[in-house]
Amino acid sequence: MRYTAKAMLLSGSALLSAGLLSLAPSASAMAQEAIFVMPARDVGAPSYNPILGTRLNAATTLIFDRMVIQDADQSFHGQLATSWETSADGLTWTFKLRPNVKFHDGEPFNAATIVWWLPKFLGTENAFMTDAIDKVDVIDNLTVKFTMKNPDPNMLFNMASSFMGIPSPKSFDQLGDKFGVTGAVGTGPFKLESFVVGQQTVLVRNEAYNSASDLSVNQGPAKLKKITLREIAEDSTAFLELKTGGVDMLLSVPTDFLPRLSSEKGTKVVTLPGTEVYYVAINTSVEPFTDIKVREAMAFAINQKEILASLFGGVGEEAHTFLISGLAEAKVDPKLLIAYDPARSRKALDEAGWVMSSDGVRAKAGTRLQVKLWTQSGTEFKRITEVVQAQLKAVGIGTDITAFDAATITAQYRKKTEHQLAVRVYSWANADILDWFFAGKRAGHPNHSMWVNATSEALNEKAMKGSRTWDERVANFRAYHENLLSQFVFAPIYQPVQNFAYSQARITMPATVRGTRLQSQTIVDIEKK
Amino acid sequence: MANFLIKRLVLLIPVFLVVSVIIFMIIHLVPGDPIDNIVQIGSTPQQKAALTAKYGLDKPLIVQYAIWFGKLMTGDLGEAIILRQPVSSLIAQNLPHSLILGSLALAFSTVVGIATGALAAIRRDSWVDRTVMAVILLGSTVPSFWLGLLMILVFAVHLGWFPVSGARSWSALVLPVLTIGLGGVALVARVTRVAMMDISRRDFVMMLHAKGVPPWRINLQHILRHALLPVVTILSLRIGWILGGAVTIEYVFARPGLGSLLITSLNQRDYPVVQGCLLMLAIAVMLGTLLGDVVQALIDPRVRERTG
Repeated sequence: MRYTAKAMLLSGSALLSAGLLSLAPSASAMAQEAIFVMPARDVGAPSYNPILGTRLNAATTLIFDRMVIQDADQSFHGQLATSWETSADGLTWTFKLRPNVKFHDGEPFNAATIVWWLPKFLGTENAFMTDAIDKVDVIDNLTVKFTMKNPDPNMLFNMASSFMGIPSPKSFDQLGDKFGVTGAVGTGPFKLESFVVGQQTVLVRNEAYNSASDLSVNQGPAKLKKITLREIAEDSTAFLELKTGGVDMLLSVPTDFLPRLSSEKGTKVVTLPGTEVYYVAINTSVEPFTDIKVREAMAFAINQKEILASLFGGVGEEAHTFLISGLAEAKVDPKLLIAYDPARSRKALDEAGWVMSSDGVRAKAGTRLQVKLWTQSGTEFKRITEVVQAQLKAVGIGTDITAFDAATITAQYRKKTEHQLAVRVYSWANADILDWFFAGKRAGHPNHSMWVNATSEALNEKAMKGSRTWDERVANFRAYHENLLSQFVFAPIYQPVQNFAYSQARITMPATVRGTRLQSQTIVDIEKK
Repeated sequence: MANFLIKRLVLLIPVFLVVSVIIFMIIHLVPGDPIDNIVQIGSTPQQKAALTAKYGLDKPLIVQYAIWFGKLMTGDLGEAIILRQPVSSLIAQNLPHSLILGSLALAFSTVVGIATGALAAIRRDSWVDRTVMAVILLGSTVPSFWLGLLMILVFAVHLGWFPVSGARSWSALVLPVLTIGLGGVALVARVTRVAMMDISRRDFVMMLHAKGVPPWRINLQHILRHALLPVVTILSLRIGWILGGAVTIEYVFARPGLGSLLITSLNQRDYPVVQGCLLMLAIAVMLGTLLGDVVQALIDPRVRERTG
């Protein structure tokens, strides 16, 4: 009896061990698998539906190809389109499509796909990207022609957006509003295996992949067989996972982690030009900022150099306009740049009648120059806002800081008159961001500056709809940008860079990271050592 | 005992009704709404209004509550607005992770807490007692967020014994369980120690000593048994707390669970999911309290008689 019990115990243990061993991935399987951590801002992105989604994460471009993609030098390269041309009047665009491309569900990609796809944007929140397209005609199985309502030199930029990832018509229609949640089918280099919101996305290689752009060295299927993209909200945890070998790459690294990561042996940090700008929105519809002199004083009181050096260790750039410095529309008349000038700031306040009081805050007719300064929760927001508060105090503007969580602050902005100053950040690599944040029709949110001005509106209209060519568009947006700078409707602060980090012991990166972000065109070239 | 149980269950009905109203109102009265997270930044007010109407958020709050509660009575927790899945399946995906983590942390707190509390009470005023008291003080005051990061640094980074985060293996449970459990250990040990010291002064204990019963037997069979009553009460209240209180721990250790789901949904004001998660936590607290009452009644007949 004792023997039987012992034997049972031993055989049970053996079975359990065998079971546990079978659960552990084999060495060869592990060698093909890489684990990445998504940027913290992507945590909780709810779906992989590029047409209906308003928040997509870093895995989207691995599942869905786009017609074109953009390189870091702003040039465009074909992915699902091989070539394109536009008419002299800008009213037609003709795209040649890549042959022999199939979706992950086996369906063919061709001109009929485009005819099905573009109308799907009608009435959606992403419709603004296709608004200028009047109709799509099939020229042949691999050629389509867009007829435009008005010329849109920004067409290629829009087509390169992650929201322009093309889904399989069959799967999209079959899954309905579950598309992107329970399944997502594109033509991209990876197929979606599983997706748990807030936790992880598992992708497996698309063995039939043949639509890489000329930005990728590898023109066939990706070198990695499987990628697990984990969502880790806490940056410290993500950093320690990379340090201990729990993950192979962090797709985004906060600037304040750079010194620590750079000193880690075997860890490589790569920096790309940034697409974000931190700024202070000035509510022009409420006192005292209805007075342009006070706005001017506010704008020139921000010491961008000090913030860059003290908060970000010199990593990134000072922001002196509203747009990222890489855009042609950011090259404005130097006289209009907003750069720290405390003497100009004090002079403007003196001219506006605000007199310095003994407590260091100016006053006018018994009213103190004490204003509300809003910010969002988060370490970077908090630190920047506190420095801004001190810098404004130095010229005699007192502020009371209120921090809101991201969901609450939007509702507060919609009240329009509650805020006076607000520290904000945006991420976008196109001048049409000016329309989003300063068009009168969007006063409140996202036009937090509440800027409604006839001259600005006319310049905006011309830039958005009156440009026939790219150069014309640049000139028109530059004029609009200069107009906004001259009215001091915001104060620029800081332009971060994009950082990502990987383990050199486990990952081989291509020599050059192509594109404006670390996306599919580079990831197909990544190898696991 | 049956009467006692029925009475307790009936009492839970009005509590559940009040809790459901509070949960619904709290999330709807907080500024912000899910539509702000759906609409693109450049969308028009008309597009926002259409979406608000689509999800019934334009109706008066009382009507929205009635619709939600009506569905709840049929077992339907609704459909997530942002996550676009039935709330029940989202909870079903996440609840097991929270239950495992919570149960193990509770078991750890119970066993270690009672053992250290009893040891401190038996060896009162000795170095053992003072050490336990110091650990209790530390465990009660150290924030779990910080303790979690400390655990990761020591046991995952420097010693390499456990993974830093995630839920990919059983070993990934150890550090989160210890982090949550240590707070519970401090509480349980403190209650056990005080209760044992209180009971050891009672007349029947004096009599046992006078009769020559061995001290270990008096401590374990008589004093500890009587001291368990307040410990059971504390433990029952911690059941709900452990499920909901793991929020920060799930965040630090990047683990799935009800807490992670609640935070993700709260940040996006996904009302149906937040309501579903809070309701689950409230039910856990109610059931925990009920369980505590039942166990108390089983241990101490006077409780049954008073209520029954």
